[in-house]
Amino acid sequence: MTLIYRGIVLFVLALVIRCIFREKDFWKQATGALVVIPLILRVLMLK
Amino acid sequence: MNYQIKGSRVTACILLALSCLVCFVAAKSFTSMWVEERVYPVEEFQQKKLSDYFSGIKGTPADQPVFIQKGEEEGGTVLLLCGTHPNEPASNLTGVLFLENAKVERGRLIVIPTANIMGFSHNGPQEGHPQGYFIELADGSKRRFPYGNRLSNPIYQWPNPDIYIHPSSGQNLSGKEKSNLNRCYPGRPDGSITEKMAYAIVELIRKEKVDLAFDLHEASPEYPVVNAIVAHERSMELAAMVTMEIEAMGIPIRLEPSPKNLHGLSHREWGDFTDTMPILMETGNPSQGRLRGRTNEDLVVTGKDKCYSRAFDLGKLYIPYDGDQPLSLRVARHTNAVMLFMENLEFINEEKGLTVEGIPDFEEIVKKGVGHFLAASN
Repeated sequence: MTLIYRGIVLFVLALVIRCIFREKDFWKQATGALVVIPLILRVLMLK
Repeated sequence: MNYQIKGSRVTACILLALSCLVCFVAAKSFTSMWVEERVYPVEEFQQKKLSDYFSGIKGTPADQPVFIQKGEEEGGTVLLLCGTHPNEPASNLTGVLFLENAKVERGRLIVIPTANIMGFSHNGPQEGHPQGYFIELADGSKRRFPYGNRLSNPIYQWPNPDIYIHPSSGQNLSGKEKSNLNRCYPGRPDGSITEKMAYAIVELIRKEKVDLAFDLHEASPEYPVVNAIVAHERSMELAAMVTMEIEAMGIPIRLEPSPKNLHGLSHREWGDFTDTMPILMETGNPSQGRLRGRTNEDLVVTGKDKCYSRAFDLGKLYIPYDGDQPLSLRVARHTNAVMLFMENLEFINEEKGLTVEGIPDFEEIVKKGVGHFLAASN
Protein backbone atom coordinates (compact mmCIF):
# COMPACT_ATOMS: atom_id res chain seq x y z
CA MET A 1 0.00 0.00 0.00
CA THR A 2 2.72 2.46 1.00
CA LEU A 3 4.74 1.72 -2.13
CA ILE A 4 1.71 2.34 -4.36
CA TYR A 5 1.06 5.59 -2.51
CA ARG A 6 4.66 6.70 -2.89
CA GLY A 7 4.53 5.78 -6.58
CA ILE A 8 1.46 8.01 -7.04
CA VAL A 9 3.17 10.88 -5.18
CA LEU A 10 6.29 10.45 -7.32
CA PHE A 11 4.16 10.54 -10.47
CA VAL A 12 2.40 13.75 -9.37
CA LEU A 13 5.77 15.25 -8.41
CA ALA A 14 7.15 14.48 -11.86
CA LEU A 15 4.08 16.12 -13.49
CA VAL A 16 4.46 19.27 -11.36
CA ILE A 17 8.17 19.56 -12.21
CA ARG A 18 7.33 19.11 -15.89
CA CYS A 19 4.76 21.92 -15.59
CA ILE A 20 7.31 24.20 -13.92
CA PHE A 21 9.72 23.77 -16.83
CA ARG A 22 7.01 24.32 -19.45
CA GLU A 23 5.45 27.35 -17.72
CA LYS A 24 6.26 30.81 -19.14
CA ASP A 25 4.97 32.82 -16.16
CA PHE A 26 7.51 33.10 -13.33
CA TRP A 27 4.85 33.35 -10.59
CA LYS A 28 3.13 30.18 -11.79
CA GLN A 29 6.54 28.51 -11.74
CA ALA A 30 6.95 29.77 -8.15
CA THR A 31 3.56 28.32 -7.25
CA GLY A 32 4.67 24.98 -8.65
CA ALA A 33 7.92 25.20 -6.67
CA LEU A 34 5.85 25.58 -3.47
CA VAL A 35 3.70 22.58 -4.42
CA VAL A 36 6.71 20.30 -4.85
CA ILE A 37 7.92 20.85 -1.24
CA PRO A 38 5.29 18.67 0.50
CA LEU A 39 5.47 16.17 -2.37
CA ILE A 40 9.25 15.74 -1.95
CA LEU A 41 8.89 15.43 1.85
CA ARG A 42 6.12 12.86 1.36
CA VAL A 43 7.85 10.75 -1.27
CA LEU A 44 10.89 10.53 1.02
CA MET A 45 8.52 9.71 3.95
CA LEU A 46 9.94 12.54 6.02
CA LYS A 47 6.53 13.99 6.89
CA MET B 1 2.41 48.03 -10.67
CA ASN B 2 3.14 45.13 -13.01
CA TYR B 3 4.87 42.17 -11.34
CA GLN B 4 4.96 40.01 -14.46
CA ILE B 5 8.29 38.23 -14.86
CA LYS B 6 9.02 35.90 -17.72
CA GLY B 7 9.63 32.33 -16.72
CA SER B 8 12.37 30.26 -18.30
CA ARG B 9 14.26 27.01 -17.73
CA VAL B 10 16.80 28.99 -15.71
CA THR B 11 14.13 30.39 -13.34
CA ALA B 12 12.61 26.91 -13.08
CA CYS B 13 15.98 25.49 -11.99
CA ILE B 14 16.52 28.31 -9.47
CA LEU B 15 13.04 27.86 -7.98
CA LEU B 16 13.43 24.08 -7.73
CA ALA B 17 16.82 24.53 -6.06
CA LEU B 18 15.11 26.81 -3.51
CA SER B 19 12.42 24.16 -2.97
CA CYS B 20 15.11 21.55 -2.32
CA LEU B 21 16.76 23.89 0.19
CA VAL B 22 13.45 24.33 2.04
CA CYS B 23 12.98 20.53 1.97
CA PHE B 24 16.44 20.04 3.44
CA VAL B 25 15.83 22.47 6.31
CA ALA B 26 12.36 21.00 6.97
CA ALA B 27 13.70 17.44 6.82
CA LYS B 28 16.37 18.24 9.39
CA SER B 29 13.70 19.65 11.69
CA PHE B 30 11.33 16.69 11.23
CA THR B 31 13.99 14.00 11.61
CA SER B 32 15.25 15.63 14.82
CA MET B 33 12.10 14.20 16.43
CA TRP B 34 12.88 10.63 15.42
CA VAL B 35 15.12 10.13 18.44
CA GLU B 36 13.74 7.88 21.20
CA GLU B 37 13.24 9.66 24.52
CA ARG B 38 16.06 8.88 26.96
CA VAL B 39 15.08 7.94 30.48
CA TYR B 40 17.26 6.99 33.43
CA PRO B 41 15.36 4.36 35.43
CA VAL B 42 16.54 3.33 38.89
CA GLU B 43 18.56 0.14 38.68
CA GLU B 44 15.80 -2.00 40.23
CA PHE B 45 13.79 -1.71 37.01
CA GLN B 46 14.23 -4.52 34.50
CA GLN B 47 13.76 -3.62 30.88
CA LYS B 48 11.69 -5.71 28.51
CA LYS B 49 10.18 -4.92 25.11
CA LEU B 50 6.52 -4.62 24.20
CA SER B 51 7.17 -7.18 21.44
CA ASP B 52 7.86 -9.74 24.19
CA TYR B 53 4.09 -9.84 24.63
CA PHE B 54 3.15 -9.81 20.94
CA SER B 55 5.82 -10.70 18.44
CA GLY B 56 3.83 -9.11 15.61
CA ILE B 57 5.33 -5.71 16.44
CA LYS B 58 8.93 -6.90 16.73
CA GLY B 59 11.21 -4.75 14.60
CA THR B 60 8.43 -2.23 13.88
CA PRO B 61 8.22 1.42 15.05
CA ALA B 62 5.55 0.32 17.57
CA ASP B 63 8.00 -1.72 19.62
CA GLN B 64 9.23 0.04 22.73
CA PRO B 65 10.70 -0.46 26.20
CA VAL B 66 8.62 -1.78 29.10
CA PHE B 67 10.07 -1.34 32.59
CA ILE B 68 9.22 -3.77 35.39
CA GLN B 69 10.21 -3.56 39.05
CA LYS B 70 9.38 -6.33 41.49
CA GLY B 71 9.33 -5.79 45.24
CA GLU B 72 10.68 -8.30 47.77
CA GLU B 73 7.21 -9.00 49.09
CA GLU B 74 4.49 -10.59 46.94
CA GLY B 75 1.55 -8.37 46.09
CA GLY B 76 -0.44 -6.93 43.22
CA THR B 77 0.70 -5.82 39.78
CA VAL B 78 0.12 -2.28 38.59
CA LEU B 79 0.60 -0.94 35.05
CA LEU B 80 1.35 2.73 34.52
CA LEU B 81 0.75 3.50 30.85
CA CYS B 82 2.01 6.99 30.04
CA GLY B 83 2.30 8.90 26.78
CA THR B 84 -0.75 7.47 25.05
CA HIS B 85 -1.16 10.95 23.58
CA PRO B 86 2.28 12.55 23.24
CA ASN B 87 0.80 16.08 23.23
CA GLU B 88 -0.27 15.53 26.86
CA PRO B 89 3.12 15.95 28.58
CA ALA B 90 2.07 15.44 32.22
CA SER B 91 1.35 11.81 31.34
CA ASN B 92 4.81 11.02 29.96
CA LEU B 93 6.51 13.05 32.70
CA THR B 94 4.65 11.17 35.46
CA GLY B 95 5.93 7.90 34.01
CA VAL B 96 9.49 9.25 33.93
CA LEU B 97 9.12 10.44 37.54
CA PHE B 98 8.15 6.93 38.65
CA LEU B 99 10.90 5.31 36.57
CA GLU B 100 13.58 7.51 38.07
CA ASN B 101 12.43 7.39 41.71
CA ALA B 102 10.29 4.34 42.51
CA LYS B 103 11.45 1.69 44.97
CA VAL B 104 8.89 -1.09 44.97
CA GLU B 105 8.75 -2.94 48.28
CA ARG B 106 5.64 -5.01 47.71
CA GLY B 107 4.11 -6.18 44.42
CA ARG B 108 5.16 -5.28 40.88
CA LEU B 109 5.14 -1.97 39.02
CA ILE B 110 5.19 -1.89 35.22
CA VAL B 111 5.87 1.44 33.52
CA ILE B 112 5.54 2.24 29.83
CA PRO B 113 6.60 5.91 29.49
CA THR B 114 5.96 6.42 25.75
CA ALA B 115 2.88 4.30 25.03
CA ASN B 116 2.24 5.67 21.55
CA ILE B 117 5.91 5.85 20.65
CA MET B 118 4.90 6.52 17.03
CA GLY B 119 3.27 9.78 18.12
CA PHE B 120 6.45 11.05 19.75
CA SER B 121 8.28 11.23 16.41
CA HIS B 122 6.18 14.10 15.00
CA ASN B 123 4.03 16.98 16.18
CA GLY B 124 0.91 18.77 15.02
CA PRO B 125 1.86 20.69 11.87
CA GLN B 126 -1.02 23.15 12.16
CA GLU B 127 -1.22 23.38 15.94
CA GLY B 128 1.91 25.49 16.40
CA HIS B 129 3.09 23.00 19.02
CA PRO B 130 6.77 22.95 19.96
CA GLN B 131 8.80 19.82 19.22
CA GLY B 132 9.89 19.63 22.84
CA TYR B 133 10.16 21.53 26.10
CA PHE B 134 12.73 21.95 28.84
CA ILE B 135 12.38 21.18 32.53
CA GLU B 136 14.75 22.73 35.06
CA LEU B 137 16.43 20.09 37.23
CA ALA B 138 17.60 20.26 40.85
CA ASP B 139 21.15 21.22 39.80
CA GLY B 140 19.91 24.11 37.68
CA SER B 141 20.54 22.33 34.38
CA LYS B 142 17.75 21.77 31.88
CA ARG B 143 16.50 18.51 30.44
CA ARG B 144 14.58 18.26 27.21
CA PHE B 145 11.41 16.23 26.78
CA PRO B 146 9.54 15.58 23.52
CA TYR B 147 6.15 17.11 22.74
CA GLY B 148 4.53 14.93 20.12
CA ASN B 149 1.24 14.33 18.40
CA ARG B 150 -2.00 12.70 19.56
CA LEU B 151 -1.89 10.34 16.57
CA SER B 152 0.66 7.85 15.25
CA ASN B 153 3.07 9.33 12.73
CA PRO B 154 1.56 9.01 9.22
CA ILE B 155 4.91 7.86 7.88
CA TYR B 156 4.18 4.61 9.74
CA GLN B 157 0.42 4.41 9.20
CA TRP B 158 -1.28 5.82 6.15
CA PRO B 159 -3.85 6.18 4.71
CA ASN B 160 -6.58 6.35 7.29
CA PRO B 161 -10.16 5.79 6.13
CA ASP B 162 -12.87 8.49 6.11
CA ILE B 163 -14.68 6.51 8.81
CA TYR B 164 -12.94 4.17 11.23
CA ILE B 165 -15.17 1.23 12.07
CA HIS B 166 -13.96 -0.03 15.44
CA PRO B 167 -13.36 -3.73 14.75
CA SER B 168 -14.71 -5.40 17.89
CA SER B 169 -17.79 -3.19 18.38
CA GLY B 170 -18.64 -1.90 14.90
CA GLN B 171 -18.76 1.64 16.29
CA ASN B 172 -18.18 4.40 13.73
CA LEU B 173 -15.48 6.95 14.49
CA SER B 174 -13.72 9.68 12.56
CA GLY B 175 -11.17 8.12 10.21
CA LYS B 176 -8.15 9.65 11.90
CA GLU B 177 -8.99 7.78 15.10
CA LYS B 178 -7.50 4.69 13.47
CA SER B 179 -4.15 6.29 14.40
CA ASN B 180 -5.27 7.09 17.96
CA LEU B 181 -4.04 4.43 20.38
CA ASN B 182 -6.86 5.23 22.79
CA ARG B 183 -9.53 4.40 20.19
CA CYS B 184 -7.97 1.15 19.00
CA TYR B 185 -8.31 -1.11 22.07
CA PRO B 186 -8.51 -4.05 22.38
CA GLY B 187 -6.51 -3.99 19.18
CA ARG B 188 -6.04 -6.60 16.48
CA PRO B 189 -3.07 -8.87 15.78
CA ASP B 190 -3.58 -8.37 12.03
CA GLY B 191 -4.76 -4.74 12.04
CA SER B 192 -3.00 -1.44 11.45
CA ILE B 193 0.27 -0.76 13.28
CA THR B 194 -1.60 1.25 15.96
CA GLU B 195 -4.14 -1.56 16.39
CA LYS B 196 -1.27 -4.05 16.73
CA MET B 197 0.32 -1.85 19.38
CA ALA B 198 -2.99 -1.69 21.28
CA TYR B 199 -3.23 -5.48 21.00
CA ALA B 200 0.32 -5.83 22.41
CA ILE B 201 -0.60 -3.65 25.43
CA VAL B 202 -3.72 -5.74 26.08
CA GLU B 203 -1.60 -8.91 25.79
CA LEU B 204 0.82 -7.43 28.35
CA ILE B 205 -2.08 -6.81 30.74
CA ARG B 206 -3.26 -10.41 30.28
CA LYS B 207 0.14 -12.12 30.47
CA GLU B 208 1.45 -10.09 33.40
CA LYS B 209 -1.90 -10.51 35.17
CA VAL B 210 -2.13 -6.78 35.85
CA ASP B 211 -4.50 -6.04 38.73
CA LEU B 212 -4.72 -2.28 38.32
CA ALA B 213 -3.93 -0.45 35.08
CA PHE B 214 -3.60 3.31 34.61
CA ASP B 215 -3.82 5.24 31.37
CA LEU B 216 -2.69 8.80 32.07
CA HIS B 217 -3.94 11.69 29.97
CA GLU B 218 -4.47 15.43 29.81
CA ALA B 219 -7.41 17.34 28.39
CA SER B 220 -8.33 20.87 27.36
CA PRO B 221 -9.42 23.02 30.32
CA GLU B 222 -12.74 23.67 28.53
CA TYR B 223 -13.46 19.94 28.12
CA PRO B 224 -15.90 18.60 30.76
CA VAL B 225 -13.89 15.43 31.51
CA VAL B 226 -10.83 17.13 32.97
CA ASN B 227 -9.23 16.91 36.42
CA ALA B 228 -11.06 13.64 36.42
CA ILE B 229 -10.85 9.91 37.03
CA VAL B 230 -12.71 7.69 34.56
CA ALA B 231 -13.36 4.24 35.97
CA HIS B 232 -14.70 0.98 34.56
CA GLU B 233 -17.43 -0.69 36.67
CA ARG B 234 -14.82 -3.08 38.08
CA SER B 235 -12.64 -0.17 39.26
CA MET B 236 -15.44 2.05 40.53
CA GLU B 237 -15.30 1.08 44.21
CA LEU B 238 -11.56 1.69 44.41
CA ALA B 239 -11.88 4.89 42.37
CA ALA B 240 -14.60 6.20 44.70
CA MET B 241 -12.36 5.62 47.73
CA VAL B 242 -9.46 7.43 46.08
CA THR B 243 -11.64 10.30 44.86
CA MET B 244 -12.84 10.94 48.41
CA GLU B 245 -9.25 10.95 49.68
CA ILE B 246 -8.14 13.37 46.96
CA GLU B 247 -11.08 15.69 47.67
CA ALA B 248 -10.26 15.50 51.40
CA MET B 249 -6.78 16.80 50.54
CA GLY B 250 -8.41 19.87 49.00
CA ILE B 251 -7.65 18.83 45.41
CA PRO B 252 -10.74 19.09 43.19
CA ILE B 253 -11.39 16.00 41.10
CA ARG B 254 -14.33 14.38 39.32
CA LEU B 255 -15.20 10.72 39.13
CA GLU B 256 -16.78 9.61 35.87
CA PRO B 257 -18.10 6.14 34.98
CA SER B 258 -16.71 4.67 31.78
CA PRO B 259 -19.57 4.83 29.23
CA LYS B 260 -20.55 1.31 28.21
CA ASN B 261 -21.25 2.26 24.60
CA LEU B 262 -18.04 4.25 23.98
CA HIS B 263 -15.64 1.74 22.50
CA GLY B 264 -11.94 1.63 21.76
CA LEU B 265 -10.90 3.46 24.92
CA SER B 266 -8.65 1.96 27.57
CA HIS B 267 -11.07 2.46 30.48
CA ARG B 268 -13.73 0.47 28.60
CA GLU B 269 -11.88 -2.21 26.62
CA TRP B 270 -9.19 -3.10 29.19
CA GLY B 271 -12.01 -3.84 31.60
CA ASP B 272 -14.12 -5.76 29.07
CA PHE B 273 -11.30 -7.78 27.49
CA THR B 274 -8.99 -8.43 30.47
CA ASP B 275 -9.34 -9.02 34.22
CA THR B 276 -7.65 -5.77 35.21
CA MET B 277 -9.20 -2.75 36.91
CA PRO B 278 -8.73 0.09 34.40
CA ILE B 279 -8.38 3.73 35.42
CA LEU B 280 -7.99 6.69 33.09
CA MET B 281 -7.03 10.07 34.54
CA GLU B 282 -7.08 13.56 33.05
CA THR B 283 -5.45 16.83 34.09
CA GLY B 284 -5.97 20.25 32.47
CA ASN B 285 -3.46 21.15 29.76
CA PRO B 286 -3.88 24.65 28.28
CA SER B 287 -1.36 23.92 25.49
CA GLN B 288 -3.76 21.49 23.86
CA GLY B 289 -6.94 23.50 24.37
CA ARG B 290 -8.75 25.27 21.55
CA LEU B 291 -9.05 28.56 23.45
CA ARG B 292 -5.31 29.02 23.85
CA GLY B 293 -3.39 32.00 22.55
CA ARG B 294 0.33 31.96 21.75
CA THR B 295 1.50 28.35 21.70
CA ASN B 296 5.08 27.70 22.74
CA GLU B 297 7.27 25.82 25.22
CA ASP B 298 6.43 28.33 27.94
CA LEU B 299 2.71 27.53 27.61
CA VAL B 300 3.47 23.80 27.87
CA VAL B 301 5.50 24.22 31.07
CA THR B 302 3.65 27.03 32.85
CA GLY B 303 0.15 26.82 31.39
CA LYS B 304 -0.01 30.63 31.53
CA ASP B 305 -2.45 32.00 28.99
CA LYS B 306 -4.43 35.24 28.95
CA CYS B 307 -7.18 33.68 26.85
CA TYR B 308 -7.72 30.96 29.43
CA SER B 309 -7.78 33.55 32.24
CA ARG B 310 -10.56 35.33 30.36
CA ALA B 311 -12.38 32.06 29.68
CA PHE B 312 -12.19 31.20 33.39
CA ASP B 313 -13.62 34.62 34.31
CA LEU B 314 -16.49 33.89 31.92
CA GLY B 315 -17.11 30.54 33.64
CA LYS B 316 -16.21 28.50 30.56
CA LEU B 317 -13.59 26.22 32.11
CA TYR B 318 -13.89 22.99 34.05
CA ILE B 319 -10.71 23.50 36.09
CA PRO B 320 -9.82 26.11 38.70
CA TYR B 321 -7.56 28.43 36.68
CA ASP B 322 -5.67 31.12 38.52
CA GLY B 323 -3.66 32.46 35.59
CA ASP B 324 -1.57 29.33 35.11
CA GLN B 325 -1.64 25.53 35.22
CA PRO B 326 1.99 24.46 35.68
CA LEU B 327 3.19 21.13 34.39
CA SER B 328 4.52 20.34 37.87
CA LEU B 329 1.00 20.75 39.29
CA ARG B 330 -0.42 18.44 36.61
CA VAL B 331 2.27 15.81 37.26
CA ALA B 332 1.66 16.18 41.00
CA ARG B 333 -2.06 15.49 40.48
CA HIS B 334 -1.35 12.31 38.50
CA THR B 335 1.39 11.12 40.88
CA ASN B 336 -0.67 11.74 43.99
CA ALA B 337 -3.69 9.91 42.56
CA VAL B 338 -1.62 6.92 41.36
CA MET B 339 -0.02 6.59 44.80
CA LEU B 340 -3.40 6.74 46.53
CA PHE B 341 -4.79 4.06 44.20
CA MET B 342 -1.83 1.81 44.97
CA GLU B 343 -2.17 2.40 48.71
CA ASN B 344 -5.88 1.56 48.62
CA LEU B 345 -5.58 -1.49 46.37
CA GLU B 346 -5.21 -3.86 49.33
CA PHE B 347 -8.58 -2.71 50.70
CA ILE B 348 -10.19 -4.21 47.58
CA ASN B 349 -8.05 -7.37 47.63
CA GLU B 350 -5.83 -7.92 50.65
CA GLU B 351 -3.30 -10.05 48.73
CA LYS B 352 -2.89 -7.54 45.94
CA GLY B 353 -1.44 -4.59 47.80
CA LEU B 354 1.42 -2.57 46.40
CA THR B 355 3.97 -0.52 48.31
CA VAL B 356 6.12 1.97 46.43
CA GLU B 357 8.59 4.26 48.20
CA GLY B 358 10.69 7.13 46.91
CA ILE B 359 7.91 9.00 45.13
CA PRO B 360 7.57 12.66 46.19
CA ASP B 361 4.18 13.77 47.50
CA PHE B 362 1.84 16.33 45.95
CA GLU B 363 3.11 19.32 47.93
CA GLU B 364 6.77 18.50 47.24
CA ILE B 365 6.28 18.26 43.47
CA VAL B 366 4.26 21.50 43.35
CA LYS B 367 6.69 23.38 45.60
CA LYS B 368 10.04 22.16 44.23
CA GLY B 369 8.96 21.45 40.66
CA VAL B 370 8.96 18.05 38.97
CA GLY B 371 12.48 18.63 37.63
CA HIS B 372 13.82 18.47 41.18
CA PHE B 373 13.08 14.72 41.16
CA LEU B 374 14.36 13.84 37.70
CA ALA B 375 17.79 12.56 36.76
CA ALA B 376 20.23 14.83 34.94
CA SER B 377 20.54 13.89 31.27
CA ASN B 378 24.03 12.88 30.25
